[in-house]
Amino acid sequence: MTSTELLRADHLTRHFKIGGALSRRTLHAVDDVNFTIGEREIVALAGESGSGKSTIARVLARISKPTSGEVYFEGKPVSQLRSRRDRLRYSGLVPMVFQDPFGSMNPVLRVQHGVLRSLKLHRPELSAQGRSAEAARVFETVGLGADMLERFPYELSGGQRQRVGFAQALAMRPKLILADEPVSMLDVSIRIGLLNLMAELRDTMGVSVLYITHDIASARYVADRLIVMYAGQIAESGPIEEVLANPRHPYTQLLLSAVPDPRAPLSVAAETDRGEPPKVIDPAPGCRFRYRCPLAIDTCAQVTPVLAELRPGHDAACHVAQQAGADQVKAFS
Amino acid sequence: MSDVPVLEVSGLCVDYVLDRGDVRAVDDVSFTLNRGEFLGVVGESGCGKSTLLFAIAQLLSPPARVAEGSVTFQGTDLVGMTDEQLSAIRWRDMSLVMQSAMNALNPVKSIGAQFKDAMRAHGKPTREEIAARSAEVLRMVGIDPVHLSSYPHQLSGGMRQRAMIAMAMLFTPDLVIMDEPTSALDVVAQRSLMVQIKELQVTYGFAVIFVTHDMSLISHFSDRLMVMYAGQVDEFGATRTVFDRPLHPYTQGLLEAFPSIRGPKVPLKGIPGNPPDLGRLPTGCRFHPRCPYAVDRCAEVAPELYQLDQALVRCLRRQDGSLPVEADRSTPATRGA
Repeated sequence: MTSTELLRADHLTRHFKIGGALSRRTLHAVDDVNFTIGEREIVALAGESGSGKSTIARVLARISKPTSGEVYFEGKPVSQLRSRRDRLRYSGLVPMVFQDPFGSMNPVLRVQHGVLRSLKLHRPELSAQGRSAEAARVFETVGLGADMLERFPYELSGGQRQRVGFAQALAMRPKLILADEPVSMLDVSIRIGLLNLMAELRDTMGVSVLYITHDIASARYVADRLIVMYAGQIAESGPIEEVLANPRHPYTQLLLSAVPDPRAPLSVAAETDRGEPPKVIDPAPGCRFRYRCPLAIDTCAQVTPVLAELRPGHDAACHVAQQAGADQVKAFS
Repeated sequence: MSDVPVLEVSGLCVDYVLDRGDVRAVDDVSFTLNRGEFLGVVGESGCGKSTLLFAIAQLLSPPARVAEGSVTFQGTDLVGMTDEQLSAIRWRDMSLVMQSAMNALNPVKSIGAQFKDAMRAHGKPTREEIAARSAEVLRMVGIDPVHLSSYPHQLSGGMRQRAMIAMAMLFTPDLVIMDEPTSALDVVAQRSLMVQIKELQVTYGFAVIFVTHDMSLISHFSDRLMVMYAGQVDEFGATRTVFDRPLHPYTQGLLEAFPSIRGPKVPLKGIPGNPPDLGRLPTGCRFHPRCPYAVDRCAEVAPELYQLDQALVRCLRRQDGSLPVEADRSTPATRGA
């Protein structure tokens, strides 16, 4: 992907303090994460629950502040946004769509409320009439009729509500939509429609999407690039077809081997990994995946692996993969 | 005894009695479950799959009630049994694993104490027997018995779900009913739990009814597959057959809605529209408003569940042959697998 850089996370770190005064410890939710999102690009951020995916989205949306590191949007550091105008502009350009379409809407207000309100806030130049017209337009864009504007949330299905979420984001003329598991609570037959919508927004309006998911198959369906997180760090990243065809990090391989595929022949004899993702509390140095990794070597317990490019654009943070060079690393298949 | 099926459900209908009239959530479901069989039930939210499970386990509470039909478990009809009669069967012969183990386990009691309660409810085991059996079932699901003294919040999601399954195994039941036990887990934990359930099932020979909305999950684990839509069975057949040669347009649509991580990338369409409101069902075939093959007749005639080849399918056009069955969908790699 040679698209222009839109957003860059630079050594992004987010820690949480836990425990009382005497047992103060630190949870490393996101640790030293670097990545970029280009213009007109869908980047999938995948990983287990607790791997830090949502924390990254919340930091990018400025819901929580990074402990250290910086987010650059269009080349400018986001932490330097001081004035209300600048901050509003940023949150309009980088809106978020949430996972739960039932919890993210006020049940006593019509669905147009959210859209009209964000229009009023982010595009003050529009008149009341202009706002209504614009709301109708974004509803059409996401595949909802303008008559839906007058409905209450309870009258809408889960898929329709999630479309309202995207309409709300689109009303602000965004450049990057942060979509945190936008389809995981929807029925299978409805999901595809929303994935197609995300691809359409990219193709016709040039909107980028950070698509957070634990479903690799749906990520492959829409995304251009894939970032795999494990325990707060990036395990592997690269063009999605390349990563799926040649996964280099043992964790990515494990993840791919676990994806149910009705078209594949049965292989129950496959390894039964019974490990669990770790809670990253006051971690010691070393690879965080080493306890579950069949390939772990001594170095893995001493040195934290950093992302290194193994093929053009394809990075993995794994000592074994980096030493093996071009050779295939196979931990799980 | 061995040729008596574990469970026979016949003409089962469940109504929700509401002010605006009764809503039929499960409509005329019949099937026979043999010993050691793994039955998968799939469908979208609101299709009645969980209500069906609750009806089988006799756990419905008002406003839901069994309106018609019978649930025969090992020769006795459970419908109309009193709670006392049921409690002799529950857990000993038939156990239930629910969707969210966090809610199903008691948060203020240790795992061991909850196992003890379940065992004391059925007989008078000694303390040693309880300890031995509890440790044994935990080991069966791959959890170290030290966790008998752990509380649910101290276990991860996957371990809680495994502890629930261990608890369901306490009496080696003949039937284990599972309601989306893996849906709160991520793919890796989900996969390993499925493999484990299958291993236990093969080893101990209990029958399983497994409800899920994720068809791809059970493709390798269930013997037969029941697809539900709007309270009815739409298709019912051997799992491999349903996957390779889906007969009902809804099943086809469901299968085509799954992106794959292998093979060429193909644009998918999903199924247009939404599942119907059970209180306002369309006339004729319940799927016809969303069906790409619907003809006028589909809006007029309500199809029955027709026998076609080895499978049951509720589709007029399949039955009269006007929608020919396509060639095998399976790839060369899966054929004969």
